[in-house]
Amino acid sequence: MRTSRTLGLIMIAPAAIMILLFFLMPVVLTAVFSLTNMSTATGISGGAYQVTQAAVNRLTTDMPELAAAISEPRFVIDGEGVAALEALQLKPHFATELRSEHLGEVFASRREAERVIKALKDRPSTREVKRISDLFNRSVLNTRFETREALLESLRKLGFDLTPEEQEAVAKATYTGWVWTADNFRIIGNSPDMAQVFLNTAFYVAVTLLLFNVGYALFLAVTTHYMTASTASIFRAVWLLPRITPVVIYILMWKWLTWDNGFLSLFMGQFGYPAKNYLLDNARDAWFFVILLNGFIGASMGMLVFSSAIKAIPETQFHASEMDGASRWQQIRYIILPQLRWPILFVTCYQTLSLLASFNEILLSTRGGPGRATEVWSLAAYHTALQNYTGNLEYGLGAAMALVLVVIGVILSLIYLRVFRYDTLISKPLIED
Amino acid sequence: MTIVSILRSATLAAALLASTAVIASAKDVTISVWSGGSGPNDNYRVDAIEIAAELLEREAAIRGEELNITVQKTPYSGWEEFKQALTLAAEAKKAPNIVATGHEDIGPWAQAGLIVPVENYIDLDGWPISDIYPNLMNVASFNGTVYGIPQDAESRPFFFWRPHMKAIGYTDADLDALPAKVEKGEYTLKNVLEDAKKMQDKGLVQPGYGFYPRTNNGPDYWQFYTSFGGLMEDDGELVFDKAAMKRAYQYFADLVAAGVTKKNHIGMPGDQWWKEVATGKAGIWHGGTWHYARLVNQEGLKDFFDNVQFTLIPAGEGGKANTLTHPLTYLLMAGHDEATTQIAADLVKIASEPRINALHAIKSAHLGISQAETKVDLYASDRWASEATERLLPHANAMPNNAEFGKYWTIMWKNLEASWTGAKTVDAAVSDAETELKATLGDAIVIR
Repeated sequence: MRTSRTLGLIMIAPAAIMILLFFLMPVVLTAVFSLTNMSTATGISGGAYQVTQAAVNRLTTDMPELAAAISEPRFVIDGEGVAALEALQLKPHFATELRSEHLGEVFASRREAERVIKALKDRPSTREVKRISDLFNRSVLNTRFETREALLESLRKLGFDLTPEEQEAVAKATYTGWVWTADNFRIIGNSPDMAQVFLNTAFYVAVTLLLFNVGYALFLAVTTHYMTASTASIFRAVWLLPRITPVVIYILMWKWLTWDNGFLSLFMGQFGYPAKNYLLDNARDAWFFVILLNGFIGASMGMLVFSSAIKAIPETQFHASEMDGASRWQQIRYIILPQLRWPILFVTCYQTLSLLASFNEILLSTRGGPGRATEVWSLAAYHTALQNYTGNLEYGLGAAMALVLVVIGVILSLIYLRVFRYDTLISKPLIED
Repeated sequence: MTIVSILRSATLAAALLASTAVIASAKDVTISVWSGGSGPNDNYRVDAIEIAAELLEREAAIRGEELNITVQKTPYSGWEEFKQALTLAAEAKKAPNIVATGHEDIGPWAQAGLIVPVENYIDLDGWPISDIYPNLMNVASFNGTVYGIPQDAESRPFFFWRPHMKAIGYTDADLDALPAKVEKGEYTLKNVLEDAKKMQDKGLVQPGYGFYPRTNNGPDYWQFYTSFGGLMEDDGELVFDKAAMKRAYQYFADLVAAGVTKKNHIGMPGDQWWKEVATGKAGIWHGGTWHYARLVNQEGLKDFFDNVQFTLIPAGEGGKANTLTHPLTYLLMAGHDEATTQIAADLVKIASEPRINALHAIKSAHLGISQAETKVDLYASDRWASEATERLLPHANAMPNNAEFGKYWTIMWKNLEASWTGAKTVDAAVSDAETELKATLGDAIVIR
């Protein structure tokens, strides 16, 4: 008993590791990302401390004197800087010439200071000029400090003795990296556009699921059930085509059908209608095609599941019902549908989740247009976090959107299990008690 | 051992040593360069680096060093894919050495430490950098530091199809005077709408083709905000001028209501748009100087100047005529050793020399980056380059280099699209934009 349990654990270990790595880890990471303001501008790996004009503006309200004092660049050729230059052991004449010719000079910008350094007789290279000018930098403006300590140390050298609270404020205002925040969820909750995208998604999932992934799939399964075997398999094979065609080609064919010079326009042109792009013409048409092209893919899976489930119904039940004079409709209503309850639960549940998460067909066909009319939640999350025109990738906000999707998926699954009374499937049969 | 033999072996040893020294100094470097938004006319964005590499190798050879530079070129035709690929590559420490991208990326990328300041590697007072127009150098700077070297300049005109304009009553003389009238604010966006309507009413163009704007998001749409008196940035702080934005949104809603612009114009296939504006299917449209290259080279519009007039973006209520320049800049990516980045910087410097940069400017119909470039024969003898430089460039604004600007842009565009397509009313679009700007940018934006 004990060994078989261990064996069981060992057998399941690869699957468990896979689930951990490829399912739980991404979800956990998404949750972690969603609690940050990570974006292109903050980077992923962490930040630095930089006193920029924007940081000075942030400091102005709380610490006006400090903000004013650090807001100007200032370069001074002083003894300390020259000594540091000597310690660098570049060409010795640099230090000598600076000491004899320029000691005490003050410059209001790095560029001006560097012009003097560049003009030294030994002609330092551009990178040497930078290293030398750094030594005479007597301000912190626009310098990038890799650590908080380095920034505070520089401020200390410039004569700013800050209290721990002030240090905290300065570090906070100058940090360029990401910080923990729950703002993403606030933004999602308050944005009218997010609400619109949410409604789009609900509409898209509900209609596609009802009409195609379950409804039409059921229709196909039942009708093919009543066909001869060879005709039925031809029909099923045809309906599998959308699923087995590579999605890019599949969408391209839809585009050929719908664009301005496409089949539909040519056909309608015969009746005097002007050519137009049916896919992107208006929101209604866009939805029509988005649902159709997704539904055609989705219907095939339900069709296969339902067909095999119908096959599993003992033939005798159909023969008996025919003896009793049942019509086709009565057979469907009283024999097939009751026995398809679990397959319908499975397909509904599975397809809801897959419709919620899938956006590649929409991305390839309408890109969420026209005017974001067909933008669904997962596509919006992708656009926010990974692809948009301005290149401003908001990883944090996108992750928060993805997390919302995970939560909705879990909630919906629970509701389905409740509605379809899943507990009756897994409860022990009474007879064995 | 005689002295002679000692001398001989010493010479031999010295020669051997010298030869190994030469071998040791032979240096193989691979420099990768990516560019965004680069169509068939923009190949010199990456090719210029290759030309520069050959020159740098020769210079090294003269100094007695053997330098072999392999340039890996990756041009992207679009922007979305390019920025996605580049940002993620950089975060994964696999960034290219050089990238040619829109200047507005400098803000966020510099803040995230994805790029290094170009001024750390190139002497800005040295030629040819010292010759580059100072306003372009400003556009390549962020937080007082020069991060990039301008790769090109351009500006974005309004285009008028001359035959249609004549058919609604303009004479050739009127049309020749149009640029000046637009500049003075005597011909405004309101006139654009009226003339577009006239063209449609006369049946010169189909409904929705009177005014035929850009089909997707782009810096162009900030010009309309500017035309209606809006300001993008003031004193380092982003500005959202509600009234100006409302007028700009309203303008597009009005265009749609008047039937001169299609409601579903955004997102239409780009190739179709190009073909239509090149063949006079559209009356008035807007674009960039580089459209000239595409219209003439790819779309077969050989007699451009007979068919098309171009002007600044006309003024709207509360603003003045303007245009926008959106220079691409060469940036140096972080994550490489200093010596390689130095070579990359040297290549950028050489590629910015007037004659090399003019190859890109003329082939792609962009504008030059320095005064000297306008004197290169190829540039000076090009009618488009000289007229466009003179008529447009003095009035050009640029988008701000601000780490938060991308967020502002995304929100501005989203709501323009919504009010254009009728998904939201103009008032709702402006107030939604305001709500979202406050939520996402907080103090970083001034709302007026």
